Amino acid sequence: MRLMITAGIDVGSLSTDAVLMRDGETLSQIIINTGAMARSAAERAFGLALSAAGLRASDVDAVIATGYGRMSVSFADSQVTEISCHGRGSAWLSPKVRTVIDIGGQDSKAIRIDGKGNVVDFLMNDKCAAGTGRFLEVMAQRLELELAELGREDQQAARAAQISSMCTVFAESEVVSLIAQGVPRPEIVRGLHLSIAERTAGLANRLGLAPEVMMTGGVAKNPGVVRALSEKLGAKIILPPEPQIVGALGAALIAQQKHARQSV
Amino acid sequence: MMDVEGFMRHMLWDRRRWNRVLSSPLTYTLLGGVLRLTRGNWPLDAMYQMGVFAFNETGRAYVGKAPVVWSSAFFPVELAWGLGLCPFSPEVAAAYIATLGFGEETMSMGEQAGYSRDICSFHRCIAGAASAGNLPRPAALLASTHLCDGAPLLFQNLAALYGAPLLALDIPYNSSPEAVRYVAGQLEQVWLSLADVTGQRPDRDKLAEAVRCSERFRAQMQRVNELRCRVPSPVSGNDMLGFIYLFFVGQGSREAAEIAAGLAKEIERRVAGLGRSGQTGTQTEKYRLLWMHLKPYYNNELMKFVEQDGGVLAMEEFSHVYWTPLDPEQPFLSLARKTMSHFAFKPVTERIRVMAELARKYRVDGIVHFSHHGCRTASGGALMIKEALRDEGWPVLVLEGDCIDGRSEACGGMLTRMQAFLEILQERKLGCAL
Repeated sequence: MRLMITAGIDVGSLSTDAVLMRDGETLSQIIINTGAMARSAAERAFGLALSAAGLRASDVDAVIATGYGRMSVSFADSQVTEISCHGRGSAWLSPKVRTVIDIGGQDSKAIRIDGKGNVVDFLMNDKCAAGTGRFLEVMAQRLELELAELGREDQQAARAAQISSMCTVFAESEVVSLIAQGVPRPEIVRGLHLSIAERTAGLANRLGLAPEVMMTGGVAKNPGVVRALSEKLGAKIILPPEPQIVGALGAALIAQQKHARQSV
Repeated sequence: MMDVEGFMRHMLWDRRRWNRVLSSPLTYTLLGGVLRLTRGNWPLDAMYQMGVFAFNETGRAYVGKAPVVWSSAFFPVELAWGLGLCPFSPEVAAAYIATLGFGEETMSMGEQAGYSRDICSFHRCIAGAASAGNLPRPAALLASTHLCDGAPLLFQNLAALYGAPLLALDIPYNSSPEAVRYVAGQLEQVWLSLADVTGQRPDRDKLAEAVRCSERFRAQMQRVNELRCRVPSPVSGNDMLGFIYLFFVGQGSREAAEIAAGLAKEIERRVAGLGRSGQTGTQTEKYRLLWMHLKPYYNNELMKFVEQDGGVLAMEEFSHVYWTPLDPEQPFLSLARKTMSHFAFKPVTERIRVMAELARKYRVDGIVHFSHHGCRTASGGALMIKEALRDEGWPVLVLEGDCIDGRSEACGGMLTRMQAFLEILQERKLGCAL
């Protein structure tokens, strides 16, 4: 009997991720920039994942799209929210996880899950860019750093600069003032990380933090934010091997379960 | 060439011309004819009847066939009907303005008039429409201090703008017999002042008749709500939210009572399989929801999305008939009791108790609290409500949004939260993959 192959495509605001799975085994995973065209980014990511696994589109039994651009993935069999997908993906990676904190490009979420990865409750902040990947992107640009360099810069800080504003625009003005005052760049970076941690911890505590805690999404790749958040929460944070693909992974897992049920 | 929307916008900004259109009897003759042609397209005939009633009342207000009194939500509007006046709800007008797509411009006018963007968008919209002179001129304004504390303050400003008196009710935060008598005394005083201001004769028989109509409306809406206990739901709750016009403006009118009776009869026929489609209930029903507070009235996909995904508003907080029968022989005491008995004008535990009761009665799968930005009364207790109802076993979504102002939120985020909540319900109800 041929084993089922499923795909999960997570079209986020900054990156589009694709995961191909065969009966619980990851065949390939791809992360690309979404750019201005969500639909073509999804097609491209799916194509690259197929090539990496040496498969054709017709080999795939079911595709589930997730992320803010999920509705634009015309070749998907169905669409599931990133909230459910991050829950399912996190539980699959670490079954003891009960709280998932996902900080993506344009929003942040705190998700409570049960032992099977089913979402029990969630909170989502998407009113503005505060506390999201976009916030860090804007600040990195202002500080003449690459996004990936922020974590390393944070490690060099002796203390954190005070950043009071949650709003990206106001915080950027504060950063400009701090630069003008000659505050060392690492201290500004740490201050920014603390600001995100503060906001995210508020979201997680409002939901009710239950151990264990996993952090997903692109911002989880920044060790400065992870450390600051861990301190604010007073909890250890589990990091997946590749935090950015957890949504796509969850989508592929849901596709597998859904397709298996339909085949019965 | 200017399109219809462009033309309407142009009209909105040209207040002189807009007013001429709104206050011309010809407008209502022409549009009334168009409205009659749409009768077969309404999901419920009672909705069409309500549309005609609202349309006629709007015409009556703008053309000036009777003195217009503005009444804020939850004010016992029976007093105005009992004097033969024309009640006008600015909050309902704001919802219509948003539905027609003029919310943003109108709110901007309100903001330019000095109203902060942090206050309720219903009020900003009303202030904008008033400052543009697009609302019918009131002979008096009626507001009460309970449930919506912003309304009496807004009405105070608007009373000064129009040079009309504000007749305000002070509702104490308890329902002791003394408090009821205190409110009843105020109601009588307001009724007499209203008669004096508008030049009407205070006729107690006419007031008793208005209370009788209001009681008939109450009983018929209760009958409607009993019928709505059926699974699948015999009507769309989203449609039912449209009847808020009757709750805010119609109570005390003969028309509202008749429309409610017609609605009950129509649902009875539907339940018996004798409706237009022959179906007894909503065929797409997958999840039954209890909907708290209101919904977005501006162009927003939320409600359509809920229905497309199989969500049915089995019951709404605003459709709940919470007050006891009215006695036409004791109009002021009856109306005082009714006004004071609102479950949200009590400790939050009472709102929780009533919502839990409705959730059980209507066998809902989940509860959505639409937290309208700017409404401190409704949103203030949302967290406690969520925790308490969740502890009783219902998944609860506190969905932050705005009824009128679409500028303050991304629709995508709202739909994601709604879809994720429906996914939780699916997992719980069907125990299967999403």
